[in-house]
Amino acid sequence: MNSHGFREGFRRSALQILRRPIYWVGILLLPLFCTLLLTTEMEDGLPIKVPAGLIDNDGTSLSREVSQSLGSMEMVDITEDCSDFTEARHKMQEGKIFGYFLIPENFESDLLAGRGPAITFYTNMTYFVPGSLLFKAFKTTAVYTKAGVVSMVAADAGVDTANASAMMMPVNIQVRGLGNPGLNYAIYLCNSFVPAVFQLMIFLMTCFSIGETIKHGFSRRLLEICDGSVLKFIGARLLPQTLIWILLIVFMESWLYGWMGYPMHGSWLWMTLNNILLVLSSQAFGLFIVSIFPNLRLSLSLCALTGILSFSIAAFSFPYESMYGGIAVFSWILPIRYNFLIYIDQALNGIDIYYSRWWFVAYFIFILAPLPFLGRLRKALRQQVYVP
Amino acid sequence: MKYWRQFIEVYVREFKLVFSDQGILLFLLFLPLGYPVIYSLIYNPELVREVRMVVVDHDRSQKSRELVRNLDACQEINVIGYAADMGEGKEAMHSHECFGILEIPEGFGRKIGRGEQAPAVIYSDMSLLLRYRGFLVASTNVMTEMGAEMLDENLNRVVPMGGSLMPGDIMPINNVSMGNISNGFDSFVMPGIVVLILQQSIILAIGMAGGAKRERRRLTGYNAVNMEPSVLMTMLGQAGCYLTLMILPSIWLLHYIPLIFSFPMAGNMLEIFCFILPMVLASIMLGFCIQGFVTERENIFIIWVVTSVIFLFLSGLTWPQYAIHGFWRFLSDMVPATWGVQGFIKMNSNGASLTQVSDAYYWEWGLAAIYTLLAWGIQKWVVRPAERLANPA
Repeated sequence: MNSHGFREGFRRSALQILRRPIYWVGILLLPLFCTLLLTTEMEDGLPIKVPAGLIDNDGTSLSREVSQSLGSMEMVDITEDCSDFTEARHKMQEGKIFGYFLIPENFESDLLAGRGPAITFYTNMTYFVPGSLLFKAFKTTAVYTKAGVVSMVAADAGVDTANASAMMMPVNIQVRGLGNPGLNYAIYLCNSFVPAVFQLMIFLMTCFSIGETIKHGFSRRLLEICDGSVLKFIGARLLPQTLIWILLIVFMESWLYGWMGYPMHGSWLWMTLNNILLVLSSQAFGLFIVSIFPNLRLSLSLCALTGILSFSIAAFSFPYESMYGGIAVFSWILPIRYNFLIYIDQALNGIDIYYSRWWFVAYFIFILAPLPFLGRLRKALRQQVYVP
Repeated sequence: MKYWRQFIEVYVREFKLVFSDQGILLFLLFLPLGYPVIYSLIYNPELVREVRMVVVDHDRSQKSRELVRNLDACQEINVIGYAADMGEGKEAMHSHECFGILEIPEGFGRKIGRGEQAPAVIYSDMSLLLRYRGFLVASTNVMTEMGAEMLDENLNRVVPMGGSLMPGDIMPINNVSMGNISNGFDSFVMPGIVVLILQQSIILAIGMAGGAKRERRRLTGYNAVNMEPSVLMTMLGQAGCYLTLMILPSIWLLHYIPLIFSFPMAGNMLEIFCFILPMVLASIMLGFCIQGFVTERENIFIIWVVTSVIFLFLSGLTWPQYAIHGFWRFLSDMVPATWGVQGFIKMNSNGASLTQVSDAYYWEWGLAAIYTLLAWGIQKWVVRPAERLANPA
């Protein structure tokens, strides 16, 4: 085997990466910037202190007690004291508050007279995260208020009030989040979105680096240098990037699970393997696209489309089983889906590798997928026709 | 008159260029027309229903079975079966058959009978917060319902005729979801995304046109004869062209997409278009700035596609603006789509009027002004010299 041609091709491609700013931007700058942005923007874990409003139409000691207990909650920040419903609604429309809590007129007296006054709270679910947090805080406050009232009425009737809360809530179901007990939003989000950014950029850079040899008219020459072998050509062209990507993704992994302290309940080894295989299969995916469509712009468009759709269709936020079947099925053709599933099993839940075995197998299918189409790529590399 | 003619010339020429360039047309047509449809379809089921759960019941009493029945009856939960012990429950979870385990401890029924509080635990998988949310909502509802049912029973037990102390519900608790009234995921995320798509398709198209200008004419077919008129008139003429081209996509994105997929539509359409105009202008001008960095047509893919993710998280849609601090807040303020998203969802979903979102509206005009100035400098000192270099007369 003559490896001289390969080494020469590799050297040229590596030098090109060093010399051209677009490679620096695409490989280093943007992936690292996104990693930094996503992890540090949500460093707090949850957007606590949700600005909220209170409409106290009662103004009695009981209603003030309610407003005090609302104010003492960590999740809520009562920033607006509204005089009526319309004012509160306007403030919500302006985005100053994300919801409001309404204590009706004659609340205390109606309560004591047994007329059953209702407490109503309004949450702006246009903003899902703060809206949900506010919902939880408002609901808790309302339920505690109710428990207080029940125990008061019961005590008046001579019932032992120690059991008042049991009377109100005879069943108490706790929901415990495994692996992320604090419901940290960054842990939930960054572990899928950051690798997905890598996948997108690997798709694009793979197509770009192969497609541009045709555009700039040196694909034929480079193929000759690589002894006319398309495998050597691809190796020479992509291997320098593979090495950088692996280095970067290991850095990303240590950033997430080391520096940021995201849960890593399994073995680092499997997660590292998972991420390295993500690099290889994403490169293979890009190669697959550019082999079938050896047109720089078209292949980049397709990679951009799949890369961006991955963020939704790989079911990071909306569950796979809730999507329409005809849509959800596309999640299986994306490398990042397997990366996410292995992350859940290995890093978040730390279960045995046995349960993730098929996801690892899938990676190898991606890596082998472009092979049948390399003849087509070779032809395009020799013809060297650029279509804008 | 002279300037007016320059404007018209550039305007017409840019149209011809765009329509002869498939790449730019793809960004201006497929991206705003097709992309939101695909995106909306992904999330269209809106709600997460029937999350699979197994039950480990150590009590096996009438009350524990009632609890399981009640949970199963909720739309959020689907009880797929009983496991003999926690080991078997975990096995089901690890092999991805379910996403939650309900564990009912021994003595559950007995505690209820004695009037004590009976605890139970749902262990939820945390890979997706929406599943956890489903468990939480369902369990809260079941707790409240079972509590209300048993209250009378309990009171009667301690005091004769105690149930008459609190006839009916002593203090009903109501909650109302505003804007996105059905708490759907699609209705939450898509109104923001469509605005983001609008900005991104403008900048991608202009960026690609900019790359084409800086390449050899022979290679790309992009004829950069736009270099004779003054820089400002060129910019205005081209901006006019893109503004015209974006009219139909904007109507499609902001009106028909919400209409087709039944997203909230509480706003006044005319006001919404008045609101979005400065965002479109600012995006066009930002695109002219980006042209300074796009040396080749295809480079725009590398440098700009991933920014959609960045802008989504800076927009305040998922992670609210009040929790974005420091440099990220500054960066977020500088993106036209941040204000577009903020204003549009307030108007479209919450029914705000234009005056109520005046902050965002002023920001958009401000950004349009800033980027116009910046773009003028970049066009004059970076893009034009590069154009001349690539295509010597």
